[in-house]
Amino acid sequence: MNGCEDKIPSIERWLDGELSGAENDSLRSHVAVCAECSEAQRRLEKLQSTLKAALLSEAQRVDFAPFWRAVQLRVNEKRPWYQEALDSMRRALPAPRVAWVVPAVIVLLLAVVSLESYLPGWRGAGRNAFATVESIDAYGRNVALLREYDTKTTVIWLYQDQEGENEAAEETAPSGPAF
Amino acid sequence: MELTDWELVQQCQAGEMSAFQELVSRYQQKVYMVILGMLRNREDALEVAQETFFRAYRKISGFQGGSSFYTWIYRIAVNLAIDAQRRQKRNPLDFRETMDDLLESQDEAARDPFADLHDKELREKLVSAINDLTPEHKAVIVLRTIEGLSYKDIGEILGCSEGTVMSRLHYARKKLQDKLSAFL
Repeated sequence: MNGCEDKIPSIERWLDGELSGAENDSLRSHVAVCAECSEAQRRLEKLQSTLKAALLSEAQRVDFAPFWRAVQLRVNEKRPWYQEALDSMRRALPAPRVAWVVPAVIVLLLAVVSLESYLPGWRGAGRNAFATVESIDAYGRNVALLREYDTKTTVIWLYQDQEGENEAAEETAPSGPAF
Repeated sequence: MELTDWELVQQCQAGEMSAFQELVSRYQQKVYMVILGMLRNREDALEVAQETFFRAYRKISGFQGGSSFYTWIYRIAVNLAIDAQRRQKRNPLDFRETMDDLLESQDEAARDPFADLHDKELREKLVSAINDLTPEHKAVIVLRTIEGLSYKDIGEILGCSEGTVMSRLHYARKKLQDKLSAFL
């Protein structure tokens, strides 16, 4: 070993035509006098030519006449309308142009959702009041909710409707002697 | 006078099917070789090559000529070949007539894809060594070998830097040389 191991990548780049003129000349003259590098060059060239010959010999055996017919058949195939629509959408909105849209939409949604916490009552004039009361009738019981926006407090009342009870009592009470 | 790829692309975008046929005939063999180098299976390679041109036709209206047609078509081919290879690995029983099988069938010399090479053992080892490479390493070595593409073009096709191409090529060659050391 002449310590030329580190020259292998340069030899590869040289054979691949990726070296500049000066580097090219310098390496060429070195390889001409260095047995190890010359051997590395030979091995690389043989590897390249063997692989190329293998793939070429295979490709030359293939009859490409039916190839075009097969491609043409697929091209002329009638595609479902939704695939056509999807394709035209993709053409109109190529990926790099809309890549930022998804995170932007997520950020916007999060902002809208969290806005209520920072700006209570921003959604409408009615919500700007100091408090609102809502009542819900649940199985004969009434529930009232008092929401105070300033203090962010919710008070829940559970109460019975007295008037309703009285009416019910009147309906079931005996209305007088039956005889 | 022969039309350039870009002129054919423009004709194709205007609806000229014959222009697309010309593009297919220019690149079918090379595209097939790139895919075969990655998949090692004739039927799969032909299928993926056809799919490559079909996809190219569908997308050709969006091709702006920012890159050359061949880097564009190879990019489609390599991506489809990588996908196909991953599917093959997930479903190894789906393998049909692999190149290894073809090499082993002595009586079918005419169908041997490497029949032009004198050293059958070297061919077998080469096929087996390539098979051990990752799809990305196969792609760089095949693109460089077949088309003699520059590192810049290969990087454009694979979506990586020239430095990455260089290191992948170096790694792939080293691996192949290690496995074929007795034959090279």
